Amino acid sequence: MARVITITSGKGGVGKTTTTANLGTALAMQGQRVVAVDADIGLRNLDVVMGLENRIVYDLVDVVEGRCRLRQALIKDKRFPELFLLPAAQTRDKDAVSPEDMIELCNSLRREFDFVLVDSPAGIEGGFRNAIAGADEVLIVTTPEVSAVRDADRIVGLVEAFEKGHPRLILNRIRPQMVNRGEMMSKEDVVEILAIDLIGVVPDDEVIVTSTNRGEVAVMQKGSQAGRAYTDIARRLLGEDVPMLVLTDDQSLLDKFMGALGLRPRRTVR
Amino acid sequence: MGFLDNLLGRKRETSSTIAKERLLTVLVHDRVKLTPDDMEAMRAEIIAVISKYVDIADPEAIDVSLLRGEESDHLKADIPVRRTRN
Ligand SMILES: Nc1ncnc2c1ncn2[C@@H]1O[C@H](COP(=O)(O)OP(=O)(O)OP(=O)(O)O)[C@@H](O)[C@H]1O
Ligand SMILES: [Mg+2]
Repeated sequence: MARVITITSGKGGVGKTTTTANLGTALAMQGQRVVAVDADIGLRNLDVVMGLENRIVYDLVDVVEGRCRLRQALIKDKRFPELFLLPAAQTRDKDAVSPEDMIELCNSLRREFDFVLVDSPAGIEGGFRNAIAGADEVLIVTTPEVSAVRDADRIVGLVEAFEKGHPRLILNRIRPQMVNRGEMMSKEDVVEILAIDLIGVVPDDEVIVTSTNRGEVAVMQKGSQAGRAYTDIARRLLGEDVPMLVLTDDQSLLDKFMGALGLRPRRTVR
Repeated sequence: MGFLDNLLGRKRETSSTIAKERLLTVLVHDRVKLTPDDMEAMRAEIIAVISKYVDIADPEAIDVSLLRGEESDHLKADIPVRRTRN
């Protein structure tokens, strides 16, 4: 049975597109047939994050308005045989599609894929409503900041009002050192406040920036903590019981000392 | 300072604890859907009703607030009543 999973947040810029690209790739690397759908109509982004921007001919709105068949708009990621992208239209706005269109689209995609990941635009308006219309499950991305968590709470309420079940939380851009100093809310704090299940914590990681620069994603980079975190989330989506990563972002003195001696630094990845 | 607090088992007020407290407060209001204006109007009505029955000491000192609870949130009104002996 295909699963349609929408990735949303309320607040903008917290990592929805990054999450969609990484989870999509991680699931494809696990042998799943995956399509990532860019539902941010007018602000197309998922294509560049996945490195597929040069191959777009048709987009989601072309499919909805019948200018092409669904198959023609799907872009195959050549690096992963099971990964596809359905790009957003860049020159239209969110009113070009309705929630009914999205439900129909998701249902067509269900027949071809194991996972349909929908990248939602920020906000709680039409674009967000379109993005969750066809969803079976919702993942809410937030960062450990007051404004992002407040918006996430709003989204939790809306997702429940739209009867999309209990959304799960991805806490992005955690900086363990700041958490240790008491200068950033911890995952325990955020989970207590939002009172929803946590499916993963992703550290703030330079590899997200450097890999996005190249049109690659962090899960393709060995040794990236963010990549590892996304791979773990993908495995949890598949029902595996993967313990939460213990994040250590900067090296401790001992690590540096051991590194200087050529010993493997104690990267706590359990 | 922080070290001493930890040693004495005192809870330090760091920016993350402040963030958490502020969030909890703002979310109680968001969830109950009470705007500050609504709160003020309700406060005025509560004062009007209470003062029919008792002598309120200092209307300025009345504190009406929403608090987070385990199962549900609470509306708490703290109303100082004038103490008279006759
Ligand atoms: N874990 C991370 N570590 C470092 N940088 C990150 C991380 N997650 C996201 N970013 C960066 O944050 C920025 C915003 O990310 P992204 O575009 O995924 O957010 P978004 O929620 O999709 O934004 P929008 O609301 O505009 O669609 C990007 O520059 C991205 O590289
Ligand atoms: Mg985005």
